[in-house]
Amino acid sequence: MYRSRNRPKRGGENEVKGPNSALTQFLREEGISAENIKQKWYQRQSKKQEDATDEKKGKAEDDSFTAEISRVVEDEEIDEIGTGSGTETERAQVSYDARMKLVPADSDEEEYETSHISDTPVSLSSANDRESLTKKRQSTAKIIQNRRRKRKRAADLLDRRVNKVSSLQSLCITKISENISKWQKEADESSKLVFNKLRDVLGGVSTANLNNLAKALSKNRALNDHTLQLFLKTDLKRLTFSDCSKISFDGYKRLAIFSPHLTELSLQMCGQLNHESLLYIAEKLPNLKSLNLDGPFLINEDTWEKFFVIMKGRLEEFHISNTHRFTDKSLSNLLINCGSTLVSLGLSRLDSISNYALLPQYLVNDEFHSLCIEYPFNEEDVNDEIIINLLGQIGRTLRKLVLNGCIDLTDSMIINGLTAFIPEKCPLEVLSLEESDQITTDSLSYFFSKVELNNLIECSFRRCLQLGDMAIIELLLNGARDSLRSLNLNSLKELTKEAFVALACPNLTYLDLGFVRCVDDSVIQMLGEQNPNLTVIDVFGDNLVTEKATMRPGLTLIGRQSDSI
Amino acid sequence: MCQDPVTLVSKDNKEYEVSRSAAMVSPTLKAMIEGSFEENKGRIELKQFDSHILEKVVEYLNYNFKYGGTNVEEDDEEDEIPEFDIPTEMSLELLLAADYLSI
Repeated sequence: MYRSRNRPKRGGENEVKGPNSALTQFLREEGISAENIKQKWYQRQSKKQEDATDEKKGKAEDDSFTAEISRVVEDEEIDEIGTGSGTETERAQVSYDARMKLVPADSDEEEYETSHISDTPVSLSSANDRESLTKKRQSTAKIIQNRRRKRKRAADLLDRRVNKVSSLQSLCITKISENISKWQKEADESSKLVFNKLRDVLGGVSTANLNNLAKALSKNRALNDHTLQLFLKTDLKRLTFSDCSKISFDGYKRLAIFSPHLTELSLQMCGQLNHESLLYIAEKLPNLKSLNLDGPFLINEDTWEKFFVIMKGRLEEFHISNTHRFTDKSLSNLLINCGSTLVSLGLSRLDSISNYALLPQYLVNDEFHSLCIEYPFNEEDVNDEIIINLLGQIGRTLRKLVLNGCIDLTDSMIINGLTAFIPEKCPLEVLSLEESDQITTDSLSYFFSKVELNNLIECSFRRCLQLGDMAIIELLLNGARDSLRSLNLNSLKELTKEAFVALACPNLTYLDLGFVRCVDDSVIQMLGEQNPNLTVIDVFGDNLVTEKATMRPGLTLIGRQSDSI
Repeated sequence: MCQDPVTLVSKDNKEYEVSRSAAMVSPTLKAMIEGSFEENKGRIELKQFDSHILEKVVEYLNYNFKYGGTNVEEDDEEDEIPEFDIPTEMSLELLLAADYLSI
């Protein structure tokens, strides 16, 4: 669909249907074909032989003759060398070189100059031809430019760069991180004095921007022991590093020493974090109460035990993911030492944990607010019973519940857990039950009709394959309609257009409708009109959404088939 | 609504004029202009910023207003947006200004 739109319609004998490279098109438009080239070569050979016989004629006459048969200067010079002496093969070789040079030197003016004297049938001799050639060239250039532009737009869409102009803040941060490597070199030379200076300058940057800088550095994979020094500020309280893969154990130690006020620390991909540095973090950061670690696979059971003993009484939030060395024993150490103070717990992709049944026993804090259990190694380890018990303990205060990839959960958890233990006026802000393919429409409809979710901001039912219209309609009849900002309905293949009639949320900004096959242009138009703040809809795999979809200004579709190359 | 240009005043009392709609790019300036304070008369003092920083800020406001709006058509011929140049030595100070103005 997209390709045919861009290509001008031409009914020629060479018109071949199917994908077509820019080069093929260029060659065709220029009239270059194998047969043509062969003809030209024969012609030139015969002219050359004539030339050789007439060589003894006067110089002036000779010059004019050469000009007549040759189209470019290079050709002329080489002809003079090539004629007279030399074998047949040599001549052929020279002529080949000449031809190779001929192609790039083939400018319009030269054609024009030679056109009135040259009478070779293959050369483009009339002004008309020249004009059409120029036109064709222009159209080719335009097509190529158009393609480039389309490709750029498609790439931007995939990067979710909705705004064409980035903010001045992000421009500045990009500039700063671009220069990091340069500063780094200078720092090496002048024994890191530059970094000290730099830190003074950065001293005034707000914490939010320092975290933005961390993000920019992580994104550029530029966060290492050197750039880490930018963050060794004394008054920084919260710090998130999204990519720590290049920070050595020494770097973590320095971070712990020079940022003693840290209360919340998030280290993603912290593969180099070892025994010593983890204990440093626990000992040197007296105010630390929230730790989020992804991939700390060097740390073993013993170290975890020591760590939790040190953190006893002050660890309030602990999230861990992607390590096989965090075992059932480590979990019980965590719960025994810190269970009573924990208000937020996250366990994701921990392949050595099976005893999730421990959790209800220890998570007893009255203010517990966030629970994330994701992708257990054995699906049956996280079953209805455990979650129901847990919700009985903490459901009253829960603000965030994420149970992604716990595919053993069934309707029983929704009815006997969520509906039973979450209060009617519930504080829940985030609810995510991704990939729970045993949960049905009935149970969720029941839940949404019983519990008022007035605070729900983010909701995801991605790949809960059994969910149908009623579950979504019931959610939207609930108080959640006014508070929802992000809704993920990816892969809910049972949904029909009816579900979207009710989807009118004043605060909704993001909606994922990927692989919801019933979504078409009319649904997109309706959603745009009904949801004034909606800025992004994901429509990957929705083949009924075409380039004709009418969109409100400010709304962007991502993943539309017609947008990609 | 009044369409007069807005005047931004720097630390060293240099004045920079920017069209009202371009100034609206910044939520901070927008709030100042639309609020019921002195600033809604069209003169905003930003005494914490040096003139060279403010000059760059004004340049960005115009740049963003010109290329950033949603009024740009999908198939606009002028799709290529020129890059906004930031001198390295200015980047940190400019970051502070951008932070303050939320742009």
